[in-house]
Amino acid sequence: MIAARASLLALLVCWAFVALADVAVPPLSGRVVDQTGTLSAGDISSLTQTLRDLETRKGSQVAVLIVPTTAPETIEQYSIRAAEAWKIGRKKIDDGALLVVAKNDRKLRIEVGYGLEGSLTDATASRIIDEIIVPKFRSGDFAGGISAGVARIVAVIDGEKLPAPAPRQQSDSGSLNFDPLNPFFIIPVLLFGGLIRSLLGRLIGSVASGGLVALIAWYLFGSLLAAVLAGVIASIFVMFSDSITSSGRGSGWSGGAGGGSWSGGSSSSSDSGGFSGGGGSFGGGGASGSW
Amino acid sequence: MRRLWTVLAALATLSLTNCGYNVIQTNDEQVKSAWSEVLNQYQRRADLVPNLVNSVRGFAQQEKDVLLGVTNARAKVGSIQATPELVNDPGAFAKFQAAQGELTTALSKLLVVTENYPQLKSDALFHDLMSQLEGTENRITVARNRYIKAVQDYNVGIRTFPNNLTAMMFGYKEKANFTVDNEKEISTAPKVDFSPAPAPAK
Repeated sequence: MIAARASLLALLVCWAFVALADVAVPPLSGRVVDQTGTLSAGDISSLTQTLRDLETRKGSQVAVLIVPTTAPETIEQYSIRAAEAWKIGRKKIDDGALLVVAKNDRKLRIEVGYGLEGSLTDATASRIIDEIIVPKFRSGDFAGGISAGVARIVAVIDGEKLPAPAPRQQSDSGSLNFDPLNPFFIIPVLLFGGLIRSLLGRLIGSVASGGLVALIAWYLFGSLLAAVLAGVIASIFVMFSDSITSSGRGSGWSGGAGGGSWSGGSSSSSDSGGFSGGGGSFGGGGASGSW
Repeated sequence: MRRLWTVLAALATLSLTNCGYNVIQTNDEQVKSAWSEVLNQYQRRADLVPNLVNSVRGFAQQEKDVLLGVTNARAKVGSIQATPELVNDPGAFAKFQAAQGELTTALSKLLVVTENYPQLKSDALFHDLMSQLEGTENRITVARNRYIKAVQDYNVGIRTFPNNLTAMMFGYKEKANFTVDNEKEISTAPKVDFSPAPAPAK
């Protein structure tokens, strides 16, 4: 009895707690995100088309973000946060670029991913800003400045040697990010398993509940590995759960369950409607300017 | 018999988490790679300095002191052995940070001086070098931020219970972190002086 409680306590304290960070970066609703209403719908759709064609042609992802201000952060701090949140560009190839305009601050920045730093160097980005975008911004032509700048960025990227874009396909569920020791998983499994066990007997009950959990995990996460792992762990728990819960369900340990989290299951590839980042990373390269 | 099975089951499940040993290893490796990236970017900046000095010297050779200051600061940075082991040695880490800070100061002095030379500022090569320098400074900042985060994760990992027991058993210590130099200086607001700068000597 005491051994059971002690081992359960040890189990609880070894669980990891996952912290969630705040991000005030707007969600990636499209290739052009304009929070200031500067661009007209026609501008946005033609820009989006140019950027979509670039991705189809080269695989590289470029996005535009216009915000009123980035204060209290500098535009460099905000851009790298936005780039890290959106993760545009292909994973491991890191061929993403982000044009950020802070309209009220009168500052702009081109944030360049690791993979594009060969052609879109700091000097090139700085030239694009100073020679192409800023003159137009100074005369008030924001739409013209952004589209000219984007056109130049696309031209530079076209000159870079990048791996060919992958043909459209359904991606698999990637790495196993299902945490089998998550308290939100264990409690319902134990309750449910206890019920099945009382109906079917110990051995058959634990196998049956393991199989059911495996089916549910397979449906939710699409990965056979996650399903098998979940099923095995569930059946182990159910087999021994009567010695853990004998003194009353949920009394001591439901209070100890902490803030675990499901880290999402599979991610599907983007198709006609949605635009999502490809997992590219950024190192802080690029250039800033002001007008 | 049942008690034995229960204890065995609990131990088996505990072994899945290793009570933090694997977590400590993962965090340690992340600190190492974050530190390598920081060193990489500092090296990139150091490599830019000779070109910058030559370009400025072409237009402003009389500013000998400042140019010499930058060259010396760069030499000092180059003389410090920057290895991955620095993260484990707070004294050496602080020396490294101080040397890099001196190079930063010397570079900003150089930039202030170049304000007086409009011909230099409009030179295309100088403009490119400046944007490269700004880009590198930004990359240094990003790399430092990522390093600080990695060290924070690692230090928290070895200080929280129950992983601190594992850490003590295997001898893992906290890693060195970046400090803010001159905290007192920064906390007082800088004096802004708009009086005209003395005319450059011809």
